[in-house]
Amino acid sequence: MTETMFNVSPLGGQVYDGAISIADYTTRHRSGLRGAQARSLLIEAGWSVPAHPNEILQTEDRGFVMALSQREFWLLEPTRDALSISISTTAVDKDVYPLFCQSSHCWLVVTGELKSSMMAKLCGVDLSDNAFATGTVAQTQMALINCIIARHEMAGHDVFSLFVDHSLAEYALEVLLDARDEFV
Amino acid sequence: MTRIKTQYVGQWIDVTRSKQFTFDGTVVTGLHGDSVTSALLANDIWLQSRSFKYHRPRGPLTLCGQDANTLVQTPNTPNVLADRLEVEEDLRVSAQHYTGWLRFDLSRLLDWFGRFLPVGFYYKAFFKPSGSWRWWEPLVRSAAGLGVSNLSVSAPYNDKVYAFCDIAVVGGGPAGLNAALSAAEAGARVMLIEQEPYLGGSLSYHAFNGDMTATQLRRDELIQAVYEHQNIRVLVSATCNAWFSDHYLPVLTSGRLLKVRAKQTILATGSSEQHAVFRHNDLPGVMMCSALDRLIRLYGVVSKRPVVVLAGNDLAYQTAFSSQDAGAHVSAIVDLREHCDDPALAIHAENRGIPIYKHCAVFEASATTLGLELAKIVIHRLDQTDGIGEKVATIKCGILAMSVGFMPAYQLACQGGAVLNYDDETAQFSLQNLPAGMHIAGSVNSMFALDTVETDGQNAARAALRGLGMSVEADEPNVCHQRVNHPWPFVKHPDGREFVDFDEDLQIKDIVNTTRMGYRDIQLVKRFSTVGMGPSQGRHSALPTARLVAATTDRTVTETGVTTARPPLTPEPLGLLAGRRFHPIRRSPLHHRHVALGAHMMPAGVWQRPAFYGGTERRKSLIEAEVSAVRTRVGIIDVSTLGGIELRGPDAAEFMNRVYTFGFIKQPIGKTRYAVLTSEQGVVSDDGVAARLGENHYYVTATTSGVDQVYRDMLKWNAQWRLDLDIANVTSAFSAVNVAGPLSRKVIETAGCSVDLNAHDFPYLACKEAYVAGLPVRMMRVGFVGELGFELHAPSPLIGELWDQLMTAGEAHGIRPFGVEAQRLLRLEKGHLIVGQDTDGMTHPDEVALRWAVAQKKAFFVGNKSVDILSKHPLTRQLVGFELGTSSPQPKEGHLVIHDGNIVGSVTSCEYSPTMNKIIGLAYVHPSDSAVGSTIIIRTDNDIHVRPVVVTTPFYDPNNARQTL
Repeated sequence: MTETMFNVSPLGGQVYDGAISIADYTTRHRSGLRGAQARSLLIEAGWSVPAHPNEILQTEDRGFVMALSQREFWLLEPTRDALSISISTTAVDKDVYPLFCQSSHCWLVVTGELKSSMMAKLCGVDLSDNAFATGTVAQTQMALINCIIARHEMAGHDVFSLFVDHSLAEYALEVLLDARDEFV
Repeated sequence: MTRIKTQYVGQWIDVTRSKQFTFDGTVVTGLHGDSVTSALLANDIWLQSRSFKYHRPRGPLTLCGQDANTLVQTPNTPNVLADRLEVEEDLRVSAQHYTGWLRFDLSRLLDWFGRFLPVGFYYKAFFKPSGSWRWWEPLVRSAAGLGVSNLSVSAPYNDKVYAFCDIAVVGGGPAGLNAALSAAEAGARVMLIEQEPYLGGSLSYHAFNGDMTATQLRRDELIQAVYEHQNIRVLVSATCNAWFSDHYLPVLTSGRLLKVRAKQTILATGSSEQHAVFRHNDLPGVMMCSALDRLIRLYGVVSKRPVVVLAGNDLAYQTAFSSQDAGAHVSAIVDLREHCDDPALAIHAENRGIPIYKHCAVFEASATTLGLELAKIVIHRLDQTDGIGEKVATIKCGILAMSVGFMPAYQLACQGGAVLNYDDETAQFSLQNLPAGMHIAGSVNSMFALDTVETDGQNAARAALRGLGMSVEADEPNVCHQRVNHPWPFVKHPDGREFVDFDEDLQIKDIVNTTRMGYRDIQLVKRFSTVGMGPSQGRHSALPTARLVAATTDRTVTETGVTTARPPLTPEPLGLLAGRRFHPIRRSPLHHRHVALGAHMMPAGVWQRPAFYGGTERRKSLIEAEVSAVRTRVGIIDVSTLGGIELRGPDAAEFMNRVYTFGFIKQPIGKTRYAVLTSEQGVVSDDGVAARLGENHYYVTATTSGVDQVYRDMLKWNAQWRLDLDIANVTSAFSAVNVAGPLSRKVIETAGCSVDLNAHDFPYLACKEAYVAGLPVRMMRVGFVGELGFELHAPSPLIGELWDQLMTAGEAHGIRPFGVEAQRLLRLEKGHLIVGQDTDGMTHPDEVALRWAVAQKKAFFVGNKSVDILSKHPLTRQLVGFELGTSSPQPKEGHLVIHDGNIVGSVTSCEYSPTMNKIIGLAYVHPSDSAVGSTIIIRTDNDIHVRPVVVTTPFYDPNNARQTL
């Protein structure tokens, strides 16, 4: 297998610059763990783990841990390529199972001061600064599709990371670009 | 008319920017900031529409979009409110609802024959003699309706936006401005919603306390503070069109619907000025005092026509003074009362030289020669009981401004369940039983003096802040003593034409006659007479109707009540409700490869799948060629849409055993097994293939459309069972292709496979994790299309590479991609079911011969009790295979199966099979017809009955030799 095989995104890794920028991070590395012991396993591995579900926390120089429940965590490593994809589902530890978030979801990163206003055209959750603070995660819908939205800082920017089903990524990008039109 | 632009007159217009538009073909010059109505009035055009029923001439009444008198037609939109439509260069506006000419409407005859059109006439006419409706219908249809819809117009871009705030303040007048500021200063996030293009409300056109300068200084101060406050979001030209539970407020703006989610709502919606009811009170030139105030203050239109003011309260005097100050000639004030509440006003009027007719009423208004505009009024004195006394005077006038009362803009509050009460003693309204979190302020709360209005706004903010859990100071004491409602502004005329409801042309006698016909309940009065059912929605007719009904039924107005207020508040464009269309489309990672190969894509639920590859003109031959490739060589199909569920953990096998009908405890590792799901009612709800990849690991497929429900059900069941396993929906994580056909093994071997694929090491129904073309895959030997076949499931990002490698490897073997159409035909030849197509919401395993897939000895699986019970009952239908010769009409899916003249079932699948050279299909038939060799009757198109023969399935390869190669 070659590395290029994993640099595949239905969105082509594009970056749409403007007052609101949308960048395709689908080929960046991410993995997931689920199980009762997942939290302690991550802490042992040196990750900073959010205290509560629907929060995201950065571990310096490594990436982010996004807690989707008390027992489900996604590890997001924006600076690292997705070099391998495993189909192995052997428990990584007792009652801790790997998740397939690299394959199941595309990752879009939205930046720009007006991104909350843009998202208000698509999503029924209040994503404004007052209501959706940095470090918060919403598991919600965007333009009628499931979407995980995380607000965090990345490379000094306040960003929304959006995770949408792989098969719906092109649709998601279409509606995002349409919603963005009035802001660029 | 004169246009004036000073600091306080003509505030909205720009006299340096003229704009030309046409009204009914006539070029009209307006100014930037004008509404169509104000521009027309500035050009002395008062006749702007015709009434709905009698085609009477009508002119502006409120100048704020609250009446139907200014409904006009634009090229693309009927029923546009001209007093809300801003003039634009080259705008084309026309009047609507007339026959011939607006000034000479041939349908005006209806007014003269009005006596033959009594209230509720349409309930009593048109149905006698029998069959006469056919004659009436075209007449009624041509007479009904307002304006013309342009059906060829291209839809404009509309969208919807969610918006959030702590407190939504509806109304940007003095109460709303104060409420917004007080709430924002306490730290709440406030959204201020104003229907007009500018904030200020009545502060912009009404001289509170007789001092316009002070009023507008206060307005400017408030508006500046609001705009400067970072906690306030201001929306102007925005209509809050309803109040729904939990403070969900749809707000209409141009091209966009805001879906506002507030925590508290303050309604500062103001009140609707009411009209006096007298003969010909609908003539163009008769208008509300607030309308005349707006005309002068906002648009700088000062008429040269003499003005008379009809007063039922002190506020009307300010209109007289303002008009005179702006240069209008005010001929008289006709006061329904004996005295002003504030005696200084009468003195002030006399000092200005304005004669006052005290305790007098307008008996009738008369029109100009052509009957199109107001020319004069006849004034009568009122007697001790407010009855009509002797004639006092006839006054020539072109404008009659009236202010006899105000009704709260109660609609939003009452949509939330509030009750509008009326005090018969004081003629004042009050809104009670407001829903939690809703507050009212200003004239909607019967506060009219400016200081009380402002305090009321501040108190409402305090109440809302308390609702947010914030600590605030106690309310300011606040009582308004100003009385604005005259108790009986009616003057009945022997010749009628005193209009209660302008929208529906309803007169006093219509309401009275309705009650005399036995309709005492206000809701029935509304339905029988149609009062309040026009575009104004009772803003001006509700109160006079309630008063008339109360008087004729010997009840109080409170006992009579008003009709129910329902959303929407104003007519809303359907485009706004539709908004931007969201149609989620799921695309396989191979989508663009299919398109590049010329696939004709078809929807499969929300997925896009290749139906076949090539042009639609060759559909049949292409599908047959794809079928032939699979039967004779090798084909490849994208099955990424298949659902996939991962079950991992020590209790995975136990869980499988409980959920599916088959036995799974003893399923060997490395084997697949057909898995059927039944609901608790014993209905076949889904199926798939369960692959046991490890002792504690199952990978189960589910139908494309059913996987989400299957996953939800699994989570639900395990929430009860608490078994030790993890359930993950991996539908999108894994994509898959099926390589099928006698040469499929060779193709995969050519691509390179890490495991031996021979029939011994990898037999039918085996599964393995392996590498194909160097890519990690889960392989399953399946036989859905009835040939040697391998399903290869790979992580979605890799499936494109896998497809490419297999296509390259298959080139030498004649590989051909095939689509859904070919797949459906192939599986039909094999007699395989598609759950959802060959089953319905009632199908149980015995009906579709799936008893073999139900473990008989299992103690439990979901639905087993129901399956057992159903199996003890005689079958009422059975799914069978049938075949027909090629010369027969081909039944379609859904065609009915007839038995003894009764419908007993339907065709679920039917195709021409090129392999068998027959028409084959599956259908539900009567059990007595299910035996092989029976003839069944299918009613096809054009009522042609065909008689296929029941045959055994599979139709093709009944010994399953080909799939086990």
